[in-house]
Amino acid sequence: MTGVVLKNVQKKYGNVTAVVDFNLEIKDREFVVFVGPSGCGKSTTLRMIAGLEEITGGTISIGGQVVNDLQPKDRDIAMVFQNYALYQHMSVRDNLAFGLRNRKVPAATIDEAIARAARILSIEPLLNRRPRQLSGGQQQRVALGRCIVRNPKVFLFDEPLSNLDAQLRAQMRLEIKELRSRVPTTSIFVTHDQVEAMTLGDRIVVMKDGVMQQVGTPLELYRTPANRFVASFIGSPAMNFIDMAVAGDGDSFKLSGEGLTFRLPNRRFPKLGGSVGKHVRVGVRPQHLVLGAPSGDGQVGVTGKLMVTEQLGDEQILVLRVGGQDIRVAGVDPELDFSAGGEIETFTAIENLHLFEQADKEASLLRAA
Amino acid sequence: MTDVSLPQQRSAGFFGALAPGGARILFILAAIGVCLIFAFPVFWLMLTALRPASEVFYVQSGSTITIENFFEVLEQPIVLKALFNSFVIATLATILSLGITATSGYMLSRFKGVVPNTWFSLIYVFRCVPYVSWVLPLYFVTIKLGIFDTYWGLLLPHVAVHICFFSWIMKGFFDGIDPSMEYAAMIDGCSRWGAFIRVALPAALPGITALALLCWLYTWNEFLFALILTAHEVPILTVVMAQFVHEMGMEWHLMSATAVIALAPALLITIFGQKYVVRGLRI
Repeated sequence: MTGVVLKNVQKKYGNVTAVVDFNLEIKDREFVVFVGPSGCGKSTTLRMIAGLEEITGGTISIGGQVVNDLQPKDRDIAMVFQNYALYQHMSVRDNLAFGLRNRKVPAATIDEAIARAARILSIEPLLNRRPRQLSGGQQQRVALGRCIVRNPKVFLFDEPLSNLDAQLRAQMRLEIKELRSRVPTTSIFVTHDQVEAMTLGDRIVVMKDGVMQQVGTPLELYRTPANRFVASFIGSPAMNFIDMAVAGDGDSFKLSGEGLTFRLPNRRFPKLGGSVGKHVRVGVRPQHLVLGAPSGDGQVGVTGKLMVTEQLGDEQILVLRVGGQDIRVAGVDPELDFSAGGEIETFTAIENLHLFEQADKEASLLRAA
Repeated sequence: MTDVSLPQQRSAGFFGALAPGGARILFILAAIGVCLIFAFPVFWLMLTALRPASEVFYVQSGSTITIENFFEVLEQPIVLKALFNSFVIATLATILSLGITATSGYMLSRFKGVVPNTWFSLIYVFRCVPYVSWVLPLYFVTIKLGIFDTYWGLLLPHVAVHICFFSWIMKGFFDGIDPSMEYAAMIDGCSRWGAFIRVALPAALPGITALALLCWLYTWNEFLFALILTAHEVPILTVVMAQFVHEMGMEWHLMSATAVIALAPALLITIFGQKYVVRGLRI
């Protein structure tokens, strides 16, 4: 069993706190993705797990053993770096063998491990080349190979795909996914790309400014974001937000703002009671807005002036000006013709609404407290 | 703005007005001119070295060519000793300087904190002091330490100067190497020190080779330190060469022959090592 446990982990550079009180339990063979904008502390956390960065506070344990004071080489981990970090003066074969030779593994075993890794990653023809002679995708494959020959307890990925072009990135994403089924090792993957996070992770950790925002499966994050940041970071195009004032009105709440009025039944939104007289942010995903007028109590309407249409071939994205706010509507039939400046009516079911408080944490008003 | 771009346009017009290939011919002529300016003194030196003593002032009209001068200087024990000393000093200075500056440059490139900052400031200050102004203090220091006119007395000042200059160049080499390569090595089973020796150092090797060649040549050519800090015990080639000028007159033919001998390693390095120097200084 090789889980990784982080308890109250902190990182400070002088007075600057890079990671705040990070708690996470990663199960054996689990694939966890740390995602967030640059500077959010995700790479720092990964480097602390690797031992490349000192831990200011808290403990990190790998496979039940606290590793705070262990050197990187003694933690039995392998890491893939953004810029591949292959040893330029060695052949691909020597790159793969380096870690095993350092551990005094017999030559025959090394050859076997290299042959296996090369087969898994189809880099057999490249073994005698130098890293400089390889393309970016090939280099990253060799870097993956360098990890799997070692058969470590944990794989660490530090934005391994961000140096590749979009097409290659999508392909390598698949390869990493496929690799997982062949070599099921506990993995931590750092990225700033929410698509990578959603497609690769068993669980995702969203971070911002050194603070963990939410941990959950991709679907949990998508369906029940804990706060406005997670809601806007996960999903593409990003969630629409409208600022609305809350008023109590018998057995329903009346939300109004930007020229819109929503009526929401009390029993469906129990936490909204505390916000009466205040403003909240209402979020709705572009995919959940449908063309047409709302019918019945279970739906609310969003009407605005059409500013721009973005034709993507399989769908159109409409940008509506609602009050002072731009609202995107995705998944619109690409065959439909719209004239800019016209009024467009859309609606969505109230289940699709997300409500966030206007306080500094902007926490969700939907999730159970 | 227009004033600035005007001369460029005019010169383009000038070259444009030439016959096709004219610019190329002009360039070649200029290159030949520059080569002549640099090569002619060397050519004259070699010619003088091949002339008997009586004819050095009629180099252009005489016809006698002899290699007698070379035998004559090589028969002098002091020249042989100086050749040997210069070689040893240059080689030792190179090994010591590069050994120290490789680690010091690496520290400056990779580590932050009080020690690297102090070291950096120290090097910076000494680098700003003109080289010539060190000579006299060094003379007294070597006398006080009792190492005047010994290998150490010349070697240590040379190494000190090299540390100030080469630490910067080395820092540049290591700055150009991605540190994640060393992190990968540390995860792959190396210590911090091992990652430096086994991964960073080999990656910087082309640069270090170039620096080694330049360092060796610099020490071999150096005159001022050698003149002031050595005497009869440790004769150095550049100083011995100058001693052909004495109260009896100047022995141009012998001085030239010694100079040609001293030139040989520089020439060999330039011809065969040029490739490495250029490649190394480009990284």
